[in-house]
Amino acid sequence: MFVIIAGGGRTGAHLALLLGAQNHKVHLIEDRPDVLARIHQELPTEVIYQGDPTNLRMLELAGIRECQALAACTTVDADNLALCYMSRDRYGVPRTIARINNPRNAWLFDKKFHVDVAINQADLMAKLIAEEMSLGDMMTLVKLRKGEVALVEEKIAPGALAAGKLVRDLPLPKDCTLAAVIRKDAVLTVRGDTVLQPGDEILAVVSSQQQAALASLLGPPAGAIQPAPPPGRKHK
Amino acid sequence: MNIIVVGCGRVGAEVAYGLFSKGHKITVVDQDAAAFRNLPEDFRGLTLQGDVLTQDVLLRAGIERADALAAVTPSDSVNTVLGHIARVVFKVPHVVVRNFDPRKRSMHSAFGMQVISPVSMGAQRIEEILLGEPLHAVFRAGDGTVGIYQMTVPKAWHGKVLRELLPQEKYRVVALTRGDHSAMPKPGGPVESGDILHVGTTREDADALRERLEKLRKD
Repeated sequence: MFVIIAGGGRTGAHLALLLGAQNHKVHLIEDRPDVLARIHQELPTEVIYQGDPTNLRMLELAGIRECQALAACTTVDADNLALCYMSRDRYGVPRTIARINNPRNAWLFDKKFHVDVAINQADLMAKLIAEEMSLGDMMTLVKLRKGEVALVEEKIAPGALAAGKLVRDLPLPKDCTLAAVIRKDAVLTVRGDTVLQPGDEILAVVSSQQQAALASLLGPPAGAIQPAPPPGRKHK
Repeated sequence: MNIIVVGCGRVGAEVAYGLFSKGHKITVVDQDAAAFRNLPEDFRGLTLQGDVLTQDVLLRAGIERADALAAVTPSDSVNTVLGHIARVVFKVPHVVVRNFDPRKRSMHSAFGMQVISPVSMGAQRIEEILLGEPLHAVFRAGDGTVGIYQMTVPKAWHGKVLRELLPQEKYRVVALTRGDHSAMPKPGGPVESGDILHVGTTREDADALRERLEKLRKD
């Protein structure tokens, strides 16, 4: 795939590295001298296009007519919006992805400006933190469909409703599938006759509405006093 | 009319005050409250401090009922994004945006925006005066491809017929001023030395006309 990245700050440069490592063709446009000095040390020269990314001639030079996707990663929301709009309207770029810097501007990042996918960093972080606080041990690994569905991980607590039960006997909420069990560093696929044990780490795909219901099955029994978890417990 | 002016720098304050003086209802929005000091003391419109791209600020400015909006901040992308929201989301009938950095003009064109470039216009006029050009633009339509230019009839044209001097397919003479009297000239009528003509034409044909006039002046 050929991707154009506008803006070479931390997000843009990291994305360029990531895509480059996966053998995608990447062109990154940046015009701030201090940022250019830094990314020239991190990225191959042929990736970097020096100039104003909101200038149409610069976009054309970087190959906007041929690219399959545009990632608008500048630190200016209005620039990112204008970039997505021009890329689709002028050049028919098939996919546009934009970074939202100020969450209060999020309402603009949709079809009004031809934004296919908007990444709201502050909002994602805030939601993750809020989830960590409200759902105890459940941790969101990946969000799918803009966060409607997520892949989550939760450890089965001693005394949990699911502990010692066959998977087929579990009253799983709807819109929820158990994908795998991690037991003593081995990954097991989940079948109806799998017996869940305390300490098992469950990977599940679940809709956002059903996360609390799943947590009540896998987590500590209601009314149990949760000890404060030691910091950094998720990292082995 | 209900008019919103976004950006209260020199241009914004001037536009806001001018429209207020003509009796319009003005709301001026700027992210920096100190900017409102650019407005004259007797300005009686509303001022609203806030983040100009956020929905609640635009709603509080009354964008749903606005008849016109001018986006004149010092950021070209903010201006064009504001203009696009005003036109497409809120259906504001009259929208104009300011081009701040002439190098970013192509962005406004990509949005099909009604755009004004005070910097480019000023620079062109200064250039014309410095070079003492016999033809200068008094009005530019849209992106400036077509404009209305002012010229003084040279001695060599005295008594000649207008349509032979300025073929109609390229030049539309909209006014002929002699003394302080102006008229819409007849294409078949004669001109006199010193007449002032206002001519609608393209930039290209204006350049050609300017060359002809400069050549006459040298001869």
